[in-house]
This record gives sequence, structure tokens and C-alpha cells, in this order.
Amino acid sequence: MPYQLQDAAPDLRESMYFPEIIRGVGLIMKQFLRNFFFGRESNPDVLARDRSLSQNATLQYPEERVPYPPGYRGLHRLVPRDDGKPRCVACYMCATACPAQCIYIEAGELPDDPIEKYPTKFVIDELRCVVCGFCVEACPKDAIRMDSGEHAPPSYERSAQIWDEKRLLRGPPVSYLYDPWLRRGASSIPPEKLEEMRARARPFHTVATDEYAQTPGFSVRALAAEARERAAREGK
Amino acid sequence: MRRFLGMVLFAILGPGVLVLLARAFYYLVAVAEHVAIGLLGAPATYGAAVANVVLLMLVVVMTTAAALSVAERKWSALIQNRIGPNRIRVFGNPLGGMPFLLADALKMLTKENIEPSQRSKLLFEIAPMISFAPAFALFAVVPVGPEVNYRVGDAVHRVALQVASIDAGLLFVFGAASLAVYGTALAGWASNSKLAMLGGVRASSQMIGYEVSLGLSLVGSMMAYQSLRLEQMVQAQGQLLWGFLPALGILLQPLGALVFFTSAFAEVKRAPFDLPEGESEIVGYFVEYPGMKFGMMFLAEFVEVVVLSAITAAIFFGGWHPVIFEAWLRANLEPAWFAAVCAGVFLTKVAILCWVQLAIRFTLPRFRFDQIQTLCWKVLLPTTLANVFVTGAAILVDPSLELLAAIGLLELVAMVAITVAASRPREPAAHPVAHAVAHH
Repeated sequence: MPYQLQDAAPDLRESMYFPEIIRGVGLIMKQFLRNFFFGRESNPDVLARDRSLSQNATLQYPEERVPYPPGYRGLHRLVPRDDGKPRCVACYMCATACPAQCIYIEAGELPDDPIEKYPTKFVIDELRCVVCGFCVEACPKDAIRMDSGEHAPPSYERSAQIWDEKRLLRGPPVSYLYDPWLRRGASSIPPEKLEEMRARARPFHTVATDEYAQTPGFSVRALAAEARERAAREGK
Repeated sequence: MRRFLGMVLFAILGPGVLVLLARAFYYLVAVAEHVAIGLLGAPATYGAAVANVVLLMLVVVMTTAAALSVAERKWSALIQNRIGPNRIRVFGNPLGGMPFLLADALKMLTKENIEPSQRSKLLFEIAPMISFAPAFALFAVVPVGPEVNYRVGDAVHRVALQVASIDAGLLFVFGAASLAVYGTALAGWASNSKLAMLGGVRASSQMIGYEVSLGLSLVGSMMAYQSLRLEQMVQAQGQLLWGFLPALGILLQPLGALVFFTSAFAEVKRAPFDLPEGESEIVGYFVEYPGMKFGMMFLAEFVEVVVLSAITAAIFFGGWHPVIFEAWLRANLEPAWFAAVCAGVFLTKVAILCWVQLAIRFTLPRFRFDQIQTLCWKVLLPTTLANVFVTGAAILVDPSLELLAAIGLLELVAMVAITVAASRPREPAAHPVAHAVAHH
């Protein structure tokens, strides 16, 4: 139900028009002067802006971007291990879960490792993707995430929207203590590197946390802080 | 903070620049007069008139009108908490949106010339000119600066920043203003389009209606200053009532000023009276016009804004009289600089009134057409008629204008009192309750 509006008949003063018009122009003038004399605050977090002087709420979009809320589902990325290879084990869970069938995987296996698989091809068609996040939920290895905080960038060709494993594999690496390649070792990882990776590995959170949105380097808050610094540097 | 200082500086330097500009205009007009008399043997005031046409009508009015087309976008943005046009940058600086003038002109001039095949060929071509020219011609009688003796070489010329000083000053204004309706009506008819036709018909009925109250609202001022010449009306506003109060038009004729300003709005066809060009319904009388022909109609609107601001400033706001510090300025400045200051003050007044005209556009929603006609015939016309009678009676009783000023001040005080008085208590508590109801 909408607001109950006060819809009384105009009294004599209001039906004279002019007093109310003069009041309206006064209001407009106040708004004009405060925006004329005081510049816009360029904090990209619009709601946090100080609106006591200028009330300007504009965001100059390509230069300033609103920090997305934690949990925003941006472009996919394939999470790398500490040795730069994808964490993905080509289990097809994401491709199976995907309602838009936009994920295409070809599995390969390492010649001297009878257990571990890896994707020789991992292609996501961002034009088909419905950004539901099911792939992220389905992944048993935390190998695909949507925490990049980016839109799919515009392009002139469709082919540019089809992201293969080379483009998808980016962002900060992640290692967990339960990772099988850390627990039993892998022929693809040199032993000293393995020790280093084991030292860095963390326990896996079974309860979902805010971490997905706060991966260092991809955190939306970091992006907002960067934008703020940039604005401060330009002295606006 | 930098912006604040810059804007304060701008607000101070703006009128200063106008004063310097006026000084340069006086000089150029005097030189033109000198050249015309000395070299061409032309009659007196001939050279000054030509120079004034070029400087005032082409430079001042045209530049202001073009700048207003950008200013409207920028000012509306400031009013509505936006930034406004700033994407064309010169060395990274948007320059307040001014480069958009160039971009707009380029766009208008290079557009394809598409014309309706069933148009009335001659009228279609000349309609933009007919709507453009009268608006310009109006400015001819506006006195921008006072008359002053100006020495060029060894000759002394008496020059004023006014194109033509004719006996029928205000009648010329009414006549030329009523010509503007031909442009819009012809544009609507010649396009052979139903929407344009509707726009043209709306424009003619509205403009003809409001011309009546436009004319009558100035009758009081004519009687009070006993002249039709605008420069004499401006001069008369310098006289002091009771020894201290300048006889400004707004003090003598507050109702006349209000009605004139309202009618001027309707004549300019701007919001809230912009029914001839309602973009959401009929687009307007210029719907079939491409490129610069549309641009002329568009620009004519802003020229009219400038001209009507100038006439309002001249008749109701003291014209070129600085009003405050006037005696001090007159005593301490040499005459040429005093005249320049006066002209600068006049241009500043015009700029402020232009701002008010644009601000009202962003204050009010549009009228319905029957409301427009009701306002004209049932409200403004009786008001002006009453104003004429009251003014006539007051002048008959007391020719020194003091009674008229007393009545005017009373009206002003009443207007302010009614405006300030909040008639209805605000009820801020109503909304949370409505929310609660909405959620259950």
C-alpha cells in the first residue's frame, strides 16, 4: 500500500500561487548556492559522503566506482595454487551445476601421477553466464571464485567474452591444509616448493565467511580505498 | 575549499569584468560615432547606433543567449544535486561546460537537412527567421548604460549604450514582441504536421492571451514615470522619495512587476508555460525542423529570456542605477567610469534575472492548458486592470509618487508576510505509520 498522502484542498494562501512559488524559488536558490559554492565530495562510497555543504550525489562513473558490497558476484577467476597452477582438479562439478552450461572443461592428467587431474581447457562463456554463483558453491576445491569485483568488460567481438584458463587464472593464490597435493605430495611440485606451500597453507573454513569478498588485491574495500587515495592525490 | 574561493572570486570579478566591458563598449561606440561623423559625414548618433547594434545586440545578447543554453544545463544540474555537462575538457578542465557551446553549434550546423516533403516551402524557410528576429529587435530600445560625454581626439560626443531612443519605446516593445507569435504559428502550420500544428495553435492562443496582460501590466509604470521611453523611465527611477527611497519600479508597481514577469514567461514559452513544446506529448511547433533551423528557434527562446530580463531590469529594478552607493559613485568617479559602472550593474541585474527565469523553470511543474488560460484571463487580467485603476488614482491624488510608493510598499509587505507565514502545520510523524501499515 502506498503512502497516505495529505490531499486537503489548498487554502487561500496556497491557491494564490505566488507566495508558494516565491518560497519554492527560495528553496531552489538555497540548493543552487550550496552546490555552486561548495564542490562535490568525490568519495566513491556515495552514502558515506559528507552532505552538509554540497549535496551532490553524482559519481563520475568510469573514473570513480562504487565499492560493491561484500558477496558481490563479479567475473569468475580460477584460483591459483602457490606454484601458479590452477587449484582446479577438473572434476566437472561446476560444469554440471551450471544452469546456463557456460563452463567447458577438458581434463588432462599428469604423466607420472595416477590420481591427480588438471584442466587442459577451462573455458567460461561470460555471455551465457547467468551469474548465479552455483559453480562457486559446487566447487569442492575452492578453485573457482567470483570475488574479482569486476563486470565482464565490454568488447566488440563475442569471442572476447569467452574466457579461457589463461585469462581466468589470476588473483592471489590460496593453499589449504587439506589440499591433497600438499598432504601426499605431487610429482608436479618440486619438494622445496612443496614445503613452502605447506608452510603457507591455512585451515579451510567450513562456515562461509566474508573472505570471498576480501581476498587481498581483489577486495572491494581495497578498491574503494584506492579510489579514495586517487581522489585525494588529485586534490579534489 | 578551492572551489569555494574560486566561486567567491568569480562572484566578485564577474561584475567587475562587466564594468570593464561596458567601459570598452563606451569607448568603441564613441570612436564609431567619431569615425562616422568625421570620415563619412553621417548625421549624429548614426555611428553610435551602428556600433551599439553590433556590440549590444550581437555581442551581448547573442553571447548571453548562447551561454544560457549551456547555463541552463549546468544550473539545473546544480539545483538538482548533479554535475551537469563536463565531459568535453580543455587540458583536463571542463571550464564549466562552456566548450559545449562549440560542440552544439558544430552539431547543429552539420546535421542533415531533412524536411517534410509536403511543407509550405517559403513559410517553412522563413518561420525560424521570423521567430528569431523580433526577439533581437526588442533589445534595440533597452538602455544598457546612461548617456555620457565622451572625448575622442579633440571632439566630444554624447553617447549612450542604447541602440535606438524612440518616442514609442514601450509600444515598440509590445509590437515587436507580438511579432514573435508569427514565427511559431507559421512554423507550426508550414511543417504540415499535426503535432507541429497543435504546438503552433497552442503557442498562438497562449501568446496572444498573455500579450494583453503583458501590455496592461506596464501601463501603471507608464503612468508613474509619464513616459514611454525606456531611458526616461530608468532615469525617473533615480529620483528619491521622501528623500531616501529610490523610486524603483518594484516599489511603485510590485503587482505590475509580478504580472509582467509572469506574462513574460508565457511569452517566452518557457516552463511552466511550455505547452507549445511539450516534449512528452506533441514535441512542439518545431518538431519538423532539422539542424540549425531548429537551433534558431531554440536560440530565439534564450534571446527572449535575455531581452525580457533586460526589460524587467530596466522598468522594475532600476535599470542602470546602481541604487546603493549611487550618490557616492557619482561624486567620486569620473563620468565615463561612472557610466561604465552603471552599465556593468545593469548587465549584472540582467544576469541575475536570467538566473531567476531559469530557476523558476526548475521550480514549477507545467500548467495544464486550461489552467494557463484561466491564469491569464481570470487572474492576471483583472489584477492588472485593478492595478491600473489604483495606480491612476494614486497618481491623480499625489503626483509626487509618494502615495503610490506607500501603496506599493504595503503590497510588498503583504506579499512577504503571506509568503513567510506557514499556513499549514507540518506533519512529520505521518510517514513511519504509513510504513508500518505498508509492511503488514
